[in-house]
Amino acid sequence: MPVDMELEMVLRPPQIPMPPYPPKTITLANGKVMVIRQAVREDVPAILKSVHPCLFIERDYYDIVSARLYGELLAWYRYRVKSEYCLMGQVDGYLVGIVNGRLENEKVGMSYHTLAIDRGLRIGSHLFAAKMEYHMDYMGQDEVLIVAESPIGFRRWMIEYPLELTHIPHELGGGDSYRLTREIYLKAKQRLVVGDRPVSQALMDEAMLDIKFADDDTIRERIAGLKGR
Amino acid sequence: MKKEIAITAYKCKKCGKIHYPFHDRCLDCKGREFEKIKPEGNAKLLTFTTIFNLPWGFDQRYLVIGVVEFENKVKAMGQIKADSVDQLKIGMKVKPTWEPVRVQYGEDVYGLKFEPMK
Amino acid sequence: MRDVAIIGAGMIPFGRRDEDTLMDMLSYASLKALDDAGLGDKSVDAVYVANMGGGMLQHQSAIASSLVDRLSLLPAAAETIENGPASGASAVKNGLLAIASGYYDTILVVGGEKMREVTGWRATDFVATMTHPQAEYPYGITLPGMAGMFTRLYMEKYGVTREHLLAISLKNQEMGTLNPYAHVEMALDRGGIYDSPHAIVNNPVSADPLHLYDLCPVSDGAAALVLCTVEIAKKTGKPYVVIAGFGQATDTHTLAEREDPTDLKAVTLAAQQAFAMAKLKPSDVSVAELHDAFTILEIAESEHVGFFKKGEGGKAAVAGKTRLGGQIPINVSGGLKARGHPVGGTGVAQIVDIVWQLRHELPENRQVKNAEVGLTVNFGGFGNNVLCFILRRVQP
Repeated sequence: MPVDMELEMVLRPPQIPMPPYPPKTITLANGKVMVIRQAVREDVPAILKSVHPCLFIERDYYDIVSARLYGELLAWYRYRVKSEYCLMGQVDGYLVGIVNGRLENEKVGMSYHTLAIDRGLRIGSHLFAAKMEYHMDYMGQDEVLIVAESPIGFRRWMIEYPLELTHIPHELGGGDSYRLTREIYLKAKQRLVVGDRPVSQALMDEAMLDIKFADDDTIRERIAGLKGR
Repeated sequence: MKKEIAITAYKCKKCGKIHYPFHDRCLDCKGREFEKIKPEGNAKLLTFTTIFNLPWGFDQRYLVIGVVEFENKVKAMGQIKADSVDQLKIGMKVKPTWEPVRVQYGEDVYGLKFEPMK
Repeated sequence: MRDVAIIGAGMIPFGRRDEDTLMDMLSYASLKALDDAGLGDKSVDAVYVANMGGGMLQHQSAIASSLVDRLSLLPAAAETIENGPASGASAVKNGLLAIASGYYDTILVVGGEKMREVTGWRATDFVATMTHPQAEYPYGITLPGMAGMFTRLYMEKYGVTREHLLAISLKNQEMGTLNPYAHVEMALDRGGIYDSPHAIVNNPVSADPLHLYDLCPVSDGAAALVLCTVEIAKKTGKPYVVIAGFGQATDTHTLAEREDPTDLKAVTLAAQQAFAMAKLKPSDVSVAELHDAFTILEIAESEHVGFFKKGEGGKAAVAGKTRLGGQIPINVSGGLKARGHPVGGTGVAQIVDIVWQLRHELPENRQVKNAEVGLTVNFGGFGNNVLCFILRRVQP
């Protein structure tokens, strides 16, 4: 269907320019190396493929998190959201986790979602930390607004950082947001934000060559299987 | 207002062994009569830990907990007023206070807290 | 007292079993043990069910009565045994005594727990209800917290280091990858959990000096055994296992009231009783399953039961003496650390693993060669109720 570009220009929200997130590597508990890098808009259809099987996993609210993430990424791909970004974690080229968020304005960020596809390796923690690092260290924001949709998320973000409760409604459901301020970030950074830069060319090439995806059953097994932790 | 420490320890009237908490028979001599005593003075820190992953009912990130021995030999567990275990050492002196240690059913629950002394 | 044999052993994979209820898990494990014993559609005289949290976590009571009905074992005698994380071994002990006394001939013992139904917060609180309700629980103490305080003292007194604890985490998680029943099937990397600066996030402090990977996971799971008289076991014509010895001892409820908190008196006493009854000594043991809910406990128990002198357990682990093929292989199953710790089920699961070892039926990469004698330690509370079993292989 041809796109009416004139109308499109009316419908597309304006974008705040964002500096790139410099990729980093993290050695996981099992010794594997995870590359965290920024996704580009063109990666979205591929990423959606691995979000899709998660839509039907009730455990730990994977269904709601992935349904919303799916919509958010699609909105980015189809130019229906303002200033969204997405970071992803890859191990041996395989996508193991996704985080996204957007800029409310130059100073305030809005955290969206954290989806760990491989579990028990604190991939969610590392990716969420990378997201905060992006907002604070690379985009120079003052604060990020955050809500949790699962008890695990609540424990990881609200308690581990710990974040402060505000009465600012969050985009996801309108509940009260928790807030990461620059002060909280700087205090927590040393124990929560890790990673090595620059990433070796070989690892970067492997990650960039192709985003590999486990098949749907493997993804479901990793998240909801008996051994899920 | 500073609250008095509200725990009671039990000294066996037969052999003098000090118990906390209460036992119906002395752990050493099986005696059944006890003199009620209060923990006295400051305390010595016997061991401690910082607990992350707290149970339901605690919203903070961590708690420092330890076991102490008071000057009159009463031993008890309590929360330690420290930001990190780096400030603590086995054998150091701590000052006991009676303060809220948790909230249950919307009410403060009081218990032992210990402040490290220089 | 009559000798008592084990002719059936069964387990279901531990982990997060969202699809199964507590009763499902107890039933599946029971059927496996009954089938392994070759009982077919025959019944047993009595059923002992080990479970710690059914009342609190599933809001269900009288679990044994429900299980015999579900398994069509009526009108077998049945009761539930709750003894904290030592419930499993307690149930086995009750089965042992009932047969040894001459009253019953065949008994099903099954232990299980469903802990992942609730969040980690609730599960931590549930386990913490073992602590003293006035002198400990209100402060927010947890079992990892108890273990942290114990570890600090043990390190100070016996020179245990993080390096020693690390050896246990690495060994047990590696063995877990070979065990199809294990909850955790992920080998750890020393760099990822210790050497690398990234370890601060991968393996954060849980209750210092203990870190995340010093702790066992919270698991769903169940395991079962069929106990019988030696006469019945002989008729099977297959190798079987006899319970050569057992011991049980208790210690003060609060950690504060122990004269020397590093001295796990109940472990020492339980092991001494078991060795005396079996007329064996620690060096006779071919394989052991110790209660490593925390890595420090594998070290401390290996010393308290007499495998190593106090202060030598950690060094022995680092030297590989407790690995498969070493002087005394410990937790070849992966232990609680990797197999998992469904609290009421653990004591039974440990014995199931030893039975498999003594029947020489495990794959080569997990089988202790020519295993003749096995030992288990099931550690309740923080060492205030401990059971030790010594099992021996019998070749008819």
